[in-house]
Amino acid sequence: MAQGTETSGAPDDWQARSAQYWNAWMDATRKAFGVTAADSATARTPWHEGLEQWARLFDAGAAKDSQSEVVERLLAGARSYFALLQSLAQKGANGQADPKAWTDAVRNAFNFPGADAALLDNPLARAMRELAGQGAKGFEQMMAGMEPAMKEARSLLDLPAFGYAREHQERYQKTAKAWLDYQHETNRYNALIARASRRAFEVFEDKLAEHAEPGRQIDSVRGLYNLWVDAAEEAYAEVALSPEFREVYGALVNAQMRVRQGAQQEVERMSNDLGIPTRTEIDTLGQRLHALRREARTQTDEVIPRLVAEVAALRRELEALKSGAAAAATKNVASRKTAPRRKAPAKAAKSKSEQQS
Amino acid sequence: MMEPVRIDPQRALDEAMRAQQKLAASFQTLRQVEDVHYGATAKDEIYREDKVVVYHYRREGNPTAKAPILICYALVNRPYMVDLQDNRSLVKNLLALGEDVYIIDWGYPDRADRWLTLDDYINGYIRRSVAAVARDAGVEKINLLGICEGGAFSLCFTALHQDRLQNLITMVTPVDFHTKENMLSHWTRDLDVDLFVDTLGNVPADLMNWCYLTLKPVRLNQQKYVAMLDILDDKTELENFLRMEKWIFDSPDQAGEAFRQFIKDFYQGNKLIEGGLEIGGQAIDLKAITIPVLNIFAEQDHLVPPSASRPLGDHIGTKDYTQLAFKGGHIGIYVSGRAQREVPPAIHEWLAKRTR
Repeated sequence: MAQGTETSGAPDDWQARSAQYWNAWMDATRKAFGVTAADSATARTPWHEGLEQWARLFDAGAAKDSQSEVVERLLAGARSYFALLQSLAQKGANGQADPKAWTDAVRNAFNFPGADAALLDNPLARAMRELAGQGAKGFEQMMAGMEPAMKEARSLLDLPAFGYAREHQERYQKTAKAWLDYQHETNRYNALIARASRRAFEVFEDKLAEHAEPGRQIDSVRGLYNLWVDAAEEAYAEVALSPEFREVYGALVNAQMRVRQGAQQEVERMSNDLGIPTRTEIDTLGQRLHALRREARTQTDEVIPRLVAEVAALRRELEALKSGAAAAATKNVASRKTAPRRKAPAKAAKSKSEQQS
Repeated sequence: MMEPVRIDPQRALDEAMRAQQKLAASFQTLRQVEDVHYGATAKDEIYREDKVVVYHYRREGNPTAKAPILICYALVNRPYMVDLQDNRSLVKNLLALGEDVYIIDWGYPDRADRWLTLDDYINGYIRRSVAAVARDAGVEKINLLGICEGGAFSLCFTALHQDRLQNLITMVTPVDFHTKENMLSHWTRDLDVDLFVDTLGNVPADLMNWCYLTLKPVRLNQQKYVAMLDILDDKTELENFLRMEKWIFDSPDQAGEAFRQFIKDFYQGNKLIEGGLEIGGQAIDLKAITIPVLNIFAEQDHLVPPSASRPLGDHIGTKDYTQLAFKGGHIGIYVSGRAQREVPPAIHEWLAKRTR
């Protein structure tokens, strides 16, 4: 069993292996993809550049459309992993040993060349950005498109509205305020994600320390990467489940909706001016149609079956009455036939009443 | 104390080389993989209304079960998760055990469906689907199996119309929406859902997916794809992975009005257990549920934490309540090897003792 003072391989060993790996990577890349040494010889970061080379081959149209998204996501994930490999190689070469040094190696892995400077030391923000779907991207694009107009509107924010264009000015002011509010809430949200990232490194260091016990050492890059992911998720969950995050998250979403609504209203207004049917009109039609369908459904499902049942019951009742009456009539006829003849009482009664009147 | 990390340089080199070789191989395998298809079991349409379709899964021979099962899936994601592929199919395993299985496919709501309410879904589509299945199977009462949000709908349906059912099964179904581990619920609490729905109309699938992925951003968007490196040279595994990817991102938009009520009453108001929930003007009282109930949840579920499902037994009126904790996650409960071995037999045996 190795002792605590030992490092994970001599620095020279790591450097030699790193160079060996890079040469092997180059050979394999050439063989697999048919690229020339010159294409990638300028690479400063072997793993990162190699991945880019790999992705470019798919960009060239080799992947089916349905797979391009997967290739993109695979690239994003693999980039972090290979960057970690490279960072660890450098760390190994430096021969540092304590959890903080390993944490720094992981931290450096996320700051590879080409990475967005705004996301340095903020791997969670990077993960969030990488996962943005088309819906989120669409909104970001809309925000970028609105930027010039908003800059213009911002200058009008504090001016009182008056005159013929008063309503327009107030509307612009409202949208601009919503936009500024959204920027503010985005900053608050990003600050929380950055906090989660910082916390992730602390949790990672704690988790590493737990592995300093005999028999629990991490012996693979993947193992170290997985430990980092556990730490990042734990730190993120701590923040994401906090009351502060809940408030900021709600405020951010609400602010975004107000911006969207402002933009929608402007489009509606322009559409109205141009005689183009608006979403509000179509929604109103849809709502009325839906209400009618519900009413028709209620008729079909509840009123008509009830009426049918009622009619059936009435028919049964009528049949019963009819058959009762028929039976009574038959009985009367039968009794008349069988009963002994008497003097006509009705006639006698009639005569009596006539006498009284 | 020892150094926490002891990575042998040669081993690291091997690991890197292996990953690189897999990447190189992927250039071939990704071109070879077929378009992934889902749905292992043939099925026939028995009822259609708007975009909703009820299917009857085909089986060889007659079922031995006395009443059919109707699966009521969530509105988010597509229901073919229960029949993803030949060796990962809850449906196929239930059929093999002698059950007769139907499923509601909600389709993809568009702007024309924006005004659909929970009343339309529960007292409308589900009620008529249940009637269609009973008619098709020639029985008076059927068994209902609700999944996730579909489970919450099934609870509401059962509270109102349990005379149409013999038994209710809920899988990964949220009941208490206010437990502390429920991140999704936590995030919705300060949401102005009226503003949200009034602005968006229907809720876009991409937005829903983004929300789900941010529940575990590193694990779901990075680690998963790092793990994908391991299977890049295996065509079958890669196809399985792509099939799952397809399912995850094949999400319908959410009908605005139904979403509004679901967030307000379930996520924010927690009315399913705290009271005050009304569907179509009728009060939902879980105590009214007196038919047998089987509640299956996943112990590592990050979408519907077990703490959200577990309390069901405390809130329903039945004396015949069974609970099954599955060792796995929200998706693993359908597709993992363990799920294939454990879940269908558990459902079948539970039903066999209760179905007349």
